[in-house]
Amino acid sequence: MKRLESVDALKKWTDEIRADMLVCESKARVIVHMGTCGIAAGAEAILDSFLKEIEAKRIDAIVSQSACIGLCNWEPVVTVIHPRNGRVIYKELVPEQVPRIVEQHLQGGKAVEEWVMDETMPFFTLQVRRILANQDIDPMRIEEYIARDGYHGLAKALTEMSREEVIEEVSKSGLRGRGGAGFPCGRKWMAAYRAQDNVKYIICNADEGDPGAYMNRSVLEGNPHSVIEGMTIGGYAIGARQGFIYVRAEYPLAVETLNHAAAQAREHRLLGKNILGTGFEFDIDIFLGAGAFVCGESTALTLSIEGKRGMPKTLPRPRTTEVGLLGKPTVLNNVETFSSIPLIILKGASWYKEVGTESSTGTKTFCLVGKVSNSGLVEVPLGIPMSQIVLDMGGGPPEGKKFKAVQIGGPSGGCIPREHLSVSVDYQSISKLGAIMGSGGLVVLDEDTCMVDTARYFLQFTKDESCGQCIPCRVGIPRMLDILNKITEGKGSMEDLDTLEELGEMIVATSLCGLGNTAPNPVLTALRYFRDEFEAHIIDKKCPAAVCQTLFRAPCQHVCPVELDVPGYIALIKEGKFEDAYNLIRQRLPFPSICGRICHHPCEAKCRRGQVDDPLAIKHLKRFVTDWALEHEVEYTPQLKGGKKEKIAIIGAGPAGLSAAYDLTREGYQVTVFESLPVAGGMVMVGVPRYRLAKELIGKEIEAIKKMGVEIKLNSKIEDINALFDQGYNAVFIATGAHKGLRLNIPGEDLDSIYQCVEFLRRINLGEEVKLGKKVIVIGGGNVAMDAARSALRLGSEVKIVCLESSKEMPAWEWEIDETLEEGISIIHSRGPRRILSTDGKVSGLEVMEVRAVFDDEGRFNPTFYEDKISVIEGDTIILAIGQSPDTSFIKEVGGIELARRGWIIADPRTLATKKKGVFAGGDVVTGPKSVVEAVAAGQRAACSIKRYLESEELAPRVEREDERTFEIPLLVEEVEEQSRVTVSNVEPSQRKSSFCEVTLSYTEEQAREEARRCLRCDLEV
Amino acid sequence: MKRRDMKQEVEKELLEDFEQIRNIISENREKTGALIRVLEQTQELISYLPPQVLEVISKDLKIPLSEVYGVVSFYNFFTMVPKGKYTIEVCMGTACHVRGNPRNLDALRKEFGIEIGETTKDGKFSLDIIRCFGCCGLSPIVRVGGDLYRRVNPTKLKRILTQYE
Repeated sequence: MKRLESVDALKKWTDEIRADMLVCESKARVIVHMGTCGIAAGAEAILDSFLKEIEAKRIDAIVSQSACIGLCNWEPVVTVIHPRNGRVIYKELVPEQVPRIVEQHLQGGKAVEEWVMDETMPFFTLQVRRILANQDIDPMRIEEYIARDGYHGLAKALTEMSREEVIEEVSKSGLRGRGGAGFPCGRKWMAAYRAQDNVKYIICNADEGDPGAYMNRSVLEGNPHSVIEGMTIGGYAIGARQGFIYVRAEYPLAVETLNHAAAQAREHRLLGKNILGTGFEFDIDIFLGAGAFVCGESTALTLSIEGKRGMPKTLPRPRTTEVGLLGKPTVLNNVETFSSIPLIILKGASWYKEVGTESSTGTKTFCLVGKVSNSGLVEVPLGIPMSQIVLDMGGGPPEGKKFKAVQIGGPSGGCIPREHLSVSVDYQSISKLGAIMGSGGLVVLDEDTCMVDTARYFLQFTKDESCGQCIPCRVGIPRMLDILNKITEGKGSMEDLDTLEELGEMIVATSLCGLGNTAPNPVLTALRYFRDEFEAHIIDKKCPAAVCQTLFRAPCQHVCPVELDVPGYIALIKEGKFEDAYNLIRQRLPFPSICGRICHHPCEAKCRRGQVDDPLAIKHLKRFVTDWALEHEVEYTPQLKGGKKEKIAIIGAGPAGLSAAYDLTREGYQVTVFESLPVAGGMVMVGVPRYRLAKELIGKEIEAIKKMGVEIKLNSKIEDINALFDQGYNAVFIATGAHKGLRLNIPGEDLDSIYQCVEFLRRINLGEEVKLGKKVIVIGGGNVAMDAARSALRLGSEVKIVCLESSKEMPAWEWEIDETLEEGISIIHSRGPRRILSTDGKVSGLEVMEVRAVFDDEGRFNPTFYEDKISVIEGDTIILAIGQSPDTSFIKEVGGIELARRGWIIADPRTLATKKKGVFAGGDVVTGPKSVVEAVAAGQRAACSIKRYLESEELAPRVEREDERTFEIPLLVEEVEEQSRVTVSNVEPSQRKSSFCEVTLSYTEEQAREEARRCLRCDLEV
Repeated sequence: MKRRDMKQEVEKELLEDFEQIRNIISENREKTGALIRVLEQTQELISYLPPQVLEVISKDLKIPLSEVYGVVSFYNFFTMVPKGKYTIEVCMGTACHVRGNPRNLDALRKEFGIEIGETTKDGKFSLDIIRCFGCCGLSPIVRVGGDLYRRVNPTKLKRILTQYE
């Protein structure tokens, strides 16, 4: 055993170790990464495989282990170093893959490329690994640490620097405590140094209580000596001879590794008595925590080490650097802080400051977890924009889900929404947003996360962990939690939000310790940035993310804008009761054929079956039922209530207008719908192409509405709303949609052969002849652009689509884009129109500029371009599909109805009332283009409001619906076995291109029943 | 059974353990924070901390029993209730919460009919929650009998539990 009695001995041994390693460098080396997660993912079996294979093939290769290198998403990972081709990382290995790696790579020197990690990803390239640089060494072998200059920092400090110089260097580096508060480390050490006492202590806080943070665990498991060395240097600097590492008991591997490392260090005279022969004495004791988050607070921690309850000391109290553990001057720092010390001493403060910002120097490790594609442990320079970590390195949420917020700082921190995601990750900037840097846990949240539930989750945690001493925390936090529980149960009120804020601010200001001071932060930030979610829970009794279980049974029904009884009709389909299923749908939805074909199915996004295998094909099942009903001539006869004398005028016979007509007529009112076009159906009739929705179906459903007694007057444009009141109508609902196209305002826009998309589609749907050229260019990236392109293709032209967005950013639905590409239409991404070119007065092409970015730092649509990167796309016809606006010129301002910019009508989002009494507005004309089911919901909401208005009731935000489960719906559920969705088939692309026939084929009866069997019947949960 | 008889029953069981417990106490007596160290190591040995053991520790370390009890009740780790043969620990960390562990917890509650901190009647499984294992990259995590399982859902859980006899 090498006892290092002097610095020279250390240096000599270092050289020997390095010489040995040089010899080994001619051999292939396998490092199996075996942190806690690696082991959980199966790394032990991988290690065994490698050992066996290498022995069996008698290869002269080295196999070693290390802790985790932070590639959590891809565990188990293995690094292979080969003298001939350097170092690669294999990801997601299973033992079956090992033989090939051994043969092809270790023996043959050629990596198995398809299994290798792509290290050109931003996840890797944006990192600056200093703390994590040694994660690949074997933590059980001190030699490997020493080979990387381990303990050389200590040697330098003990023999070349005075205690003051060490503290000076740490101060100059600007190192801030990495535990969360960011207090300047040098200043803390100086205070302890100055304290007059010959017994002092150094404590490493390795409690890491923040759920979602494990940076410290990885360093303790992977590079324990860096912490030991850092503490020893600290002990020297402040004058302490005893150190403690307070490790949480939930980290058994870290505890084992630390104990082993400390023992090895002692054996080599790097710890304990007479370190490196300098006479300096310092030892470390490892103390296990016992599961108390509050013991992360400095005074609670010291009390815990004393064997007592970890209850923070009351104020006023002396600084821990003066009176700490056992009443002695104590320095308490985080694992990462200590791990930074040897680097700072060895390489100097200036080196440390080379990265980071002026007041937040250096790097920081972060655990990127939650709803993120590339979850892992990363180290980045402070000052990096948060968006780079979450979106570039992390890749944003998986499965195409929308990013919502990132939680930083754990239960003491706050959430950062999209519009602030460009914030610089440094101590000051983060606190300005109401959060704290914390120890480094970053939890990404997406559209399926409820912010109210998340706030409640954190409060539940801090409530459990509160020590109970002071009233603000002990009583205040449970009170806040009660309110949040009430809100998630649908029993909250708007006053509760004010109470939450008031309570929260008071608890922050008056709590005894850091736990209470920061516990309300998650709630306060959630309220600040996501107030609309709280309001939805309170006013609408809805949880938009479909998480708060007490508000609903089945998530599909809950997120459906018309709250259709999805589990009900699927259960009926499963039993073969198709007529009942159809009638159940018709009770709530007057246009099931339409929705069955073109709905954007938010229900499927929340279908719980999606967590097992695939979500149910709900839309397609609805389509099946409606086709069946059509075939079997099923007629749904709605029940009509008694005749009321009031008359209602509806302007616009689109889905919103007709849905309102349907509901109002059922209530007994007389309804007249005024439509300016020669056909009814609105955008569904004149906007949606026939290959997505056959027009006969709409015709049939509109006929059914007319049969109820609704009068639809075609070719009747309304110019004056007041006149309607004069004619005896008691209320008016404006649902005229958005049928105008937006202009680009670029040169050449007024040439012939340039069409507005909405007008183009309308003319086709009305049967008018449209003459297109041979080469059509469609400008736009949304669904409407896809509609235009595919329609133009069917008229015989060659079509190209040009859009600002990259393929990931395109707003059109994924399945629409897929079908478009299948039909041979090419999409040119990231180009913005500059001007339309012409020859002899005829369109000859489109000049475009390359897009620099579509969205700005706040995530808002704000395209910027490279003005000098210009190219030309050839074409003789242009179709503009860049957006729509309403034609509300018929609304005179004097009427009292307010209009927003571009003409959108301003109405209350819940009651749909405008400022003019008796006039309501809804659908696209208010919200801008949305989906058909949202228009139906708006129509139903309008009908509800109008009824209340006419009955002199107060307009209320909630729509009343009767519970309509009048059919026998079976209660049986089968065992869940994994089974993917029954495939929905499309017509072959080659056949589709030349006809406007519907692209998607319906299910057969057997297919429908088989798919319906997959439903988990979430509505039956007790 | 009378209270005195119950006490004697437990003491009989623990007789051999008492010897080891006394060793633990003497090894740690002089160390800082001796009480917590002793409690941790004792619980590791016999899996819980019954009142009789606490009395012994209190006497030997000369710490009032009320203070010992105060420490035991303060820290989440210590339990005075015997655990089952296998402890099922559901992680309630943020990443695990967001990725579905509440549903796993509910499924376990329903399956065994026990609450957090309780043990099944046959003594096979105990249900606990852990604040965070620090394996967030593999969330949601459930630990059964010391074995970590990743990316768990109620269906997988059922299968996993059948492996524990």
